[in-house]
Amino acid sequence: MGRKKKKASKPWCWYCNREFDDEKILIQHQKAKHFKCHICHKKLYTGPGLSIHCMQVHKEAIDKVPNSLPNRSNIEIEIYGMEGIPPEDIKEHERQKTGGGKASDSDDDEPAAKKKATSALLGPGPSTVTSGILPTPMGPVPPGMYPGPMAMNPMMPHFMQQRMMMPGMRPLFPAASVSVSTPSKPTFPAYSNATISAPPTTSTSSELRENGDVKPPAANTCPLVTATGAGSKIIHPPEDVSLEEIKARNAKFRPKPKPDAPSTPVSAPPMIAPSTSQAEINFQVAAHMSAAVAAARQQAMRRPMPMGMMGMLGQVRVPVPVSMPVPVLPVMPQFNLMRPIQPGMLLPGGMMPMGAMFPGGVPGLPMMQPRYR
Amino acid sequence: MTVTRVAESRTEFKLKSLPEDAISSVKFAPKSNQFLLVSSWDCSVRLYDVSANIERHKYNHELPVLDVCFRDAVHSYSGGLDQTLKMYDLNATTETVLGDHKGAIRCVEFAAEVNAVLTGSWDGTVKMWDSRVPNCVGTYNQGNERVYTMSIVGEKFVVGTSGRKIFVWDVRNMGHVNQRRESSLKYQTRCIRVFPNKQGYVLSSIEGRVAVEYLDSNPEVQKKKYAFKCHRIKESGVEKIYPVNAISFHSVYNTFATGGSDGYVNIWDGFNKKRLCQFHRYNTAVSSLCFSHDGSALAIACSQLDETEAEDPKPDDTIYIRYVTDQETKPK
Repeated sequence: MGRKKKKASKPWCWYCNREFDDEKILIQHQKAKHFKCHICHKKLYTGPGLSIHCMQVHKEAIDKVPNSLPNRSNIEIEIYGMEGIPPEDIKEHERQKTGGGKASDSDDDEPAAKKKATSALLGPGPSTVTSGILPTPMGPVPPGMYPGPMAMNPMMPHFMQQRMMMPGMRPLFPAASVSVSTPSKPTFPAYSNATISAPPTTSTSSELRENGDVKPPAANTCPLVTATGAGSKIIHPPEDVSLEEIKARNAKFRPKPKPDAPSTPVSAPPMIAPSTSQAEINFQVAAHMSAAVAAARQQAMRRPMPMGMMGMLGQVRVPVPVSMPVPVLPVMPQFNLMRPIQPGMLLPGGMMPMGAMFPGGVPGLPMMQPRYR
Repeated sequence: MTVTRVAESRTEFKLKSLPEDAISSVKFAPKSNQFLLVSSWDCSVRLYDVSANIERHKYNHELPVLDVCFRDAVHSYSGGLDQTLKMYDLNATTETVLGDHKGAIRCVEFAAEVNAVLTGSWDGTVKMWDSRVPNCVGTYNQGNERVYTMSIVGEKFVVGTSGRKIFVWDVRNMGHVNQRRESSLKYQTRCIRVFPNKQGYVLSSIEGRVAVEYLDSNPEVQKKKYAFKCHRIKESGVEKIYPVNAISFHSVYNTFATGGSDGYVNIWDGFNKKRLCQFHRYNTAVSSLCFSHDGSALAIACSQLDETEAEDPKPDDTIYIRYVTDQETKPK
């Protein structure tokens, strides 16, 4: 009992069980997270204070402390920092600390506490204060902070999985991930091996392609933009393409047909530059089509064609439906042709065509490749 | 510390004779609070005299313009869906085509350090241009990913692309990429801005989240990086998460403003992890922000960008000029 120098003497928040290094920070946390009025954002000092404020100023009754654990939501108890915590809860907390044994290292239990807080937050409670008043350090945030699906989107096109290493897949190659230098703490543990993949020696010249590799939008579409979980909704179209690209698909932003160009799709459209790369771009657009079809059938179908496509069919007056079979046909030859010349695509993290650097494929990974064929 | 909600007031006004379609970018002149360049989806680039609240110049591209920047008080560069980089002499009102990309030009930045223009395109490359004559100095592949955002301060040049990639360059030596990173945020990169003190950059994603990151790869420094949630609105039990479209730094205080599709502008103190203030809600999404060179004025462009089903009637595209106070922008 009497020994005070135990680690458990760190101040902690009764409402969410989170520990702090300093009681001052704890009080700041409580004011920002638990004692802030959801209507006028005024920060009060205690639960009863908040309740009285809301009653008097906004004529609203508050029955729970915002962002608190379900069993700690009592607004009647006057708690300020570590003052006012019921003695039995202090004992209980201490017992958990010591009983938990090794888990008591500060960094470890903070996320756990936070996770609980978050799940409590997602519940039906009147939790309101979520916009980042107190940004938390990213390091220790557990995947639980993201209550949504962390896994790769199942709708991801097949060929993509073959062509490139997606971040989520990295753990499949333990050997490879070791070689990746990760100078910083991973932000998302699920991405841990993917944070920074900078082989600094790469010569840029090998990557330069003067003929402009227009990557068709969906070909490198990561997971589609999906909601992070129940109770939240990302205000963004489902496709993982920038808002500008989506807007640019609007028919009115298509290049105007030049008077000298006859209106046949065969002639070089004004927007796509040299005719030499025409065929290549054509192929890539076609590849994109298959991706779009496989990946996001519903969404992609309804949307007008992407920019690249517009350019290609610049002279076509009526928008061609995406399901049109013609552009899909050349897909297979394209990929069979392309893959051998871009072994770098399989490089963990890099996603850079490093063919010039490693003509024989990626060192350390050669036998992995067949798996992806 | 305290969240101030400021009502519309004399410190803020709306520009007159605005573009007829969404505003893609607003940029203050390098050394004055008076002039503002505006690029728009109505294919125009306009120069406003902010103090007099009049439109001074206007020139057009064939297709919507996605970005514009100043070289000096009298020259601007712009590019957009027509894939063409134009230089415009505001005194002589003459335009010069400097060259083109194979895809739409998404970003245009002037690199004073090397007196060059940088353009980032959906063709997956960044090009560097001689600032005076049509001469492309170099083409730099960005991992074949479409360039979504670029920022340059001094020699530090950061490019954000599709696929959540980030490329850090040194404009004095474009021979190789300095760092190749993956965004620490889970969702599509929306905007990146380098700290005026060049220590790091701020990155925003479509999922109401902003990350503060450091360029120094020393683990001690990297530990300081963090991210936070913002631009989210809880409505009837559902939390709506909005894209963070714009970031602009206050060049003096190293604080920054973020603008989201929720129509809010927040000002943050990135080093102390504090929100300094939030302005009133604007009529629609904030699409672009720019602090003036001394940080006394903030241009706020409001345009809906089809984040959701198009609203009917479409909200007006507007630009507000707000004279900010130290209280709103200075770390406490």
